[in-house]
Amino acid sequence: MKEILTPCPHLHRRWRSVLLFLLWSIAPWSHAQTPVFEIEIREHLFFPAELVIPANQKVKLIIYNRDDTPEEFESYELNREKVIVGNSQGVVFIGPLKPGEYPFFGEFNMKTALGKIIAE
Amino acid sequence: MTDAVVIVLREVLEAMLLICMLMATSTAMGYRFRWMLGGLALGVGGATLYALGLEQISMAFEGFGQEYVNSALLVGIAVLLATHNFLAVFQLRNPSVMLAYRTLMLTFVVMVAMAITREGAEIYLYAYSYGVLAGNITAVFSGGVIGLGIGLSVGTFFYYGLRSLARRPRLIVCCGVSLVLGASMMGQASVYLSQADVLPYQEPLWDSSGLFEESSLMGELLRATLGYEAQPTLNQVSLYLSSVIVSILAMLAAWRLHRLPEPARGGE
Repeated sequence: MKEILTPCPHLHRRWRSVLLFLLWSIAPWSHAQTPVFEIEIREHLFFPAELVIPANQKVKLIIYNRDDTPEEFESYELNREKVIVGNSQGVVFIGPLKPGEYPFFGEFNMKTALGKIIAE
Repeated sequence: MTDAVVIVLREVLEAMLLICMLMATSTAMGYRFRWMLGGLALGVGGATLYALGLEQISMAFEGFGQEYVNSALLVGIAVLLATHNFLAVFQLRNPSVMLAYRTLMLTFVVMVAMAITREGAEIYLYAYSYGVLAGNITAVFSGGVIGLGIGLSVGTFFYYGLRSLARRPRLIVCCGVSLVLGASMMGQASVYLSQADVLPYQEPLWDSSGLFEESSLMGELLRATLGYEAQPTLNQVSLYLSSVIVSILAMLAAWRLHRLPEPARGGE
């Protein structure tokens, strides 16, 4: 049965080892220990508008959009941009950041949707 | 309304430069703009589908579907821009040989469609929810039209600038523009990949925000043309440079192709 499924067993084995190698090389990057932080968008504003995260550590940021309208989370300083449709959520990885302030904004409401991440 | 102007202009600028460069290449090669209709139609269709499916796409791949799609589109455009350079240099080297029309048209159509899909989806989402659903149609659409108008003016200016050159130098300049646009796309792709944690985090190599703030008009313009980034990482710089190298290699290969015997052509 196995022979029928894999007409060319040698090739199959080679691809499997390539795949294993790729998985192995990616593994160290996907830490399960990354701390998670959350931000909410309500009425085109970010809550909290100032989010304190640990410096020098990679962080997973989940942005919940509670509005019906889409928003784009964007930051020049963090080098991030992501569209989050209404009543949905988006994830971005940020850091490890040096201590400091990193402003972000909502591109669809540039004047009001402002916030910053404080790494300390 | 000013929000709409800025949002549309930011999205439109890059696609506009790409399309105008392809138009200039077409004229230099002696082709008409037939590819544009197909590219625009597929692009608008693609942008609509991308916008409508964005929620599902975003949820896919552990919440990073958007990053994967965007970087795939960007890498795809960069590869096709290198193909464009290959074809353009081949034409420069062998002026008497007409290029395979279908290959050229397909390259252009797909490139335009991919560029519009990526940029258009954002405009669609914005215009639909903040204009149509919010009952704010006049403000959002007039702003959008102004943004599009500014983009079109920049594009027209750019296109006629290229048109003012003779055919051969025009093709050479187009190759240069294509090389830089492709590199800029690869740089942007690296940002999406690091956002999704596919590429590891790196410290910025330098900070030139004192020179050109990224949010400034000049910064935005440099970003759309050269792929300017005030604080680039090693990933970004190396993908940018690798795209430049691939494009140059494609051009060298096309240049060397001259030495091969010409394929038999039908009676002229």
